[in-house]
Amino acid sequence: MSRTRFEPPARLSLLPGNLATAFLTHGVRAGQEDLPQVAVLRASTPIEGDSVRWSVDPVRELVEQAMLRFDAGRTEADAWLAPRLHATLRMSRAEAANPGLWNFLSLAVAPDFVLWRHMPSGTAEDGAPRKVNSARFVGPHYSQAFARLWWAAEMFRDGSDYGPAEVACGNQDMINTALRLDAIDHRPTALALVSVLRTLSDRGATRLGDRVNALCTAVNVAGTTLMYEVIAPDDPPRQDALTAWIEEAESAPAVPWERLPEGPDDGTARRSSCETLSRMFEKFAAEAPLRDRARASRAVSD
Amino acid sequence: MSAVYAYPTLVGKIEVAVRGASMDGKPLQLSLISQRDQVVALHQVERDDWTEGVLDLEVSLPTEELAEGPWAGVSCVAVLTEGATNTRVVSRLERRRGDTHWRGQVRVRRSTHASRALLDVSVVGSHGGVDGRILGRADTPWLVDLLGRTPSRQRDLEILEEDFRDGPEEWLRPFMDAPWLIDTTGELPTILLNTSFEGLSELLSGARGPLEKATAGLVAAQIAGEAWATMFHSALSDLEFDDDGTPHFPGGWRESVLRSMLPEVFPGLPLHDALREAHDCRGAGRGWAEVQSRIEVAAGKRSQMPKNLVATIRAVSRAQEGTYR
Repeated sequence: MSRTRFEPPARLSLLPGNLATAFLTHGVRAGQEDLPQVAVLRASTPIEGDSVRWSVDPVRELVEQAMLRFDAGRTEADAWLAPRLHATLRMSRAEAANPGLWNFLSLAVAPDFVLWRHMPSGTAEDGAPRKVNSARFVGPHYSQAFARLWWAAEMFRDGSDYGPAEVACGNQDMINTALRLDAIDHRPTALALVSVLRTLSDRGATRLGDRVNALCTAVNVAGTTLMYEVIAPDDPPRQDALTAWIEEAESAPAVPWERLPEGPDDGTARRSSCETLSRMFEKFAAEAPLRDRARASRAVSD
Repeated sequence: MSAVYAYPTLVGKIEVAVRGASMDGKPLQLSLISQRDQVVALHQVERDDWTEGVLDLEVSLPTEELAEGPWAGVSCVAVLTEGATNTRVVSRLERRRGDTHWRGQVRVRRSTHASRALLDVSVVGSHGGVDGRILGRADTPWLVDLLGRTPSRQRDLEILEEDFRDGPEEWLRPFMDAPWLIDTTGELPTILLNTSFEGLSELLSGARGPLEKATAGLVAAQIAGEAWATMFHSALSDLEFDDDGTPHFPGGWRESVLRSMLPEVFPGLPLHDALREAHDCRGAGRGWAEVQSRIEVAAGKRSQMPKNLVATIRAVSRAQEGTYR
């Protein structure tokens, strides 16, 4: 995987999923073939306007820095990259819901990152070359290489504080499992999950990954008959603060590398609600059955 | 996931009506709210720069059942969700003294929604010392459509006319000889009709006389059948999984397609078992060939292929008898 010969475009565009999928050959996913860049760019539609938000350079710089810093332990890149990617790509949820943007990032801006971060380790049993799952290039928000980081930062931040998001992304089971749950669309629920994760890891709990998965399942199952929003009310985010933060992208300097950036100051979750749910989830965590590793050997993580 | 309730729930009906709506303070035309289809089209012609829509809700609950039931601290909430933006907003509704209905407002922020949001109403209360239990839900959620110009539910499938040969969509060039194409990769499944295929759109949109009409019906059924089969396959390849590998319904149109076709593909199996069976067959290849035929038959039935074929055969034979007599 060479990192130097790649010449990214200057501006972000939108690449529709049906066109993107066609480029994901076995060779590309195995890192043995280059993507046909001209064709990829031709298939993409530019984003209108000249906002700085859609420049490629800041994202590219961030991704290269991540690959440099975490070459020894690539999964650790998630916790560093998620808040910084979120604070660099400032946008509304409506904008982030467009898969075309994420497809473009993974195929035209930083395919080298997708391969670096998500190439399965070890060798395949049948001797075939290892390759990255297509869903890391073009896939749902909880799988796609960039969408999962941006959305994790969005769902787990507490107003301008990316601290909880950093903790959530520091645990692969949390980012991989919790991000799929509808329950985390309620902010106190998401933050309470992080708080239980913190407690478990401070306590040095064994089988942390299994505990996190069991907790997520318990929270989700209980959520089918419990309305967390009624038990733990919250205030809607302040839209004007979010809009202002997005607009500040035009003049904001590049995100800091050594400390956490500041997110949009659109209001923090109610303390009392987070505490109520944390207490409830602590109980779930203590009671939830851990899965039988031998039986569940089918689940693969990459 | 269907919920299993370990406590008594409401049996009576929860009825939800959107009585009015406004966008940035301006009232929305009532024609954009359909009570029958339970759809609000939050769209104003020639403006996409709105920031907030407000819906006025009126909900009737089974009052007597609630009063006599074993629940305490009952409240009624509206839940607005959209999967694509991971948005879930819960608003409390209130009941004034002497009023028979619960009322309240739901705010729809443009920046947190992409295309279609679902508006559900739940009754919540405590039972057995546990607060916040869901006691009942409205049967059908309302749909808040941010892109549609008319309030209708018929957007499970989009039909677009495109020139495959000389049109602007370059990816369609390789298919220029195909009369149509079914694309299930996007937000909504789409049937693309090739306008460079001579006579096709005229036949489908303006058939004259019994023979042409029968042919148009047959072609439409053929397209629909292919669409259903393609949608089924595409939905089945897009499932979500628990960490122990249990498949779940994927949401959106994919879920509706699976829910409506699985009972015919695997008759007699409960829905979740049928989903697991379909997924296992597809993965393992075991029995997948037999399943194919059943998918085809289910798709054909949905597209009314048998009915249209009979009509065409009769129309043709009538026309021939006419010539030979």
